[in-house]
Amino acid sequence: MSIALADEIRIDSESDIVVARKLVRDTATSLGFGLTDVTRIVTAASELTRNIYIYAGSGIMRCRPVASDARRGVELVFEDKGPGIADISKAMTPGYTTSRGMGMGLPGSKRLMDEMDLKSAVGQGTTVVVRKWLHK
Amino acid sequence: MTAENISVISLRNLLLVTVPPDPDDETISALQQKILESMARHDARGLVLDISTVQTLDSFFARTVMETVQMVALMGGRTVLAGMRADVAVTATQLGLSIGATQTALDVDRAFDLLQGEIQGGRTA
Ligand SMILES: Nc1ncnc2c1ncn2[C@@H]1O[C@H](COP(=O)(O)OP(=O)(O)O)[C@@H](O)[C@H]1O
Ligand SMILES: [Mg+2]
Repeated sequence: MSIALADEIRIDSESDIVVARKLVRDTATSLGFGLTDVTRIVTAASELTRNIYIYAGSGIMRCRPVASDARRGVELVFEDKGPGIADISKAMTPGYTTSRGMGMGLPGSKRLMDEMDLKSAVGQGTTVVVRKWLHK
Repeated sequence: MTAENISVISLRNLLLVTVPPDPDDETISALQQKILESMARHDARGLVLDISTVQTLDSFFARTVMETVQMVALMGGRTVLAGMRADVAVTATQLGLSIGATQTALDVDRAFDLLQGEIQGGRTA
């Protein structure tokens, strides 16, 4: 089994969100995800990269194919050194926002993907990891 | 992508605006501005927003669309969202987006029928 290197994109401006979406779309499509799953994965990437841009100002997204046991899929990592999230369960509540947003980015991305891990420390930053597995 | 690339067609008292496939936030904001200006300039009564090529409808985009629909309504116009792809609709629903009471149609043709029926009906009533 080979270890795939991750493609990495810096998120510094809102136009980087479009670049991130394109990379995720190309990766998910080439891994064999169907159109609806590709749209789910790209939409989650759009939400999570925008969170980096809005709340942290800058950060990175990494995108790579993953394999475990007999499963294959895609993993996206969103990492920033921004203000962090004080109350994660609040942030995961649909409709909760500190920016006049819709408050659907975090809870919605969790629903669109198969797995989501969120780690955050106030004053240090936030890391969100999401995965989607191919279903045969 | 800039505002100049956004197609706005005025037909009788209706506007047809086509949203590009993968717009950045700036383009989405420019789109809203252009729609409101065009509604006023053409004294339009309705707006058909063609989203048939849109690949990603995230919460920022959805909020701007909802806002635009409300502003158009304040200007006395009705909006129909035309041609949302099935995968985009499934994803938006799962994300938890709701487009409220906004009318939708399968394609631009049906959207025009819908608006013309309503606007004509409203006038003669
Ligand atoms: N990367 C991040 N850094 C700091 N705070 C964040 C980050 N991502 C999300 N948050 C916080 O979590 C809240 C909910 O995020 P989200 O569900 O995407 O909704 P919205 O962005 O519309 O507010 C945000 O309003 C913000 O307070
Ligand atoms: Mg968000």
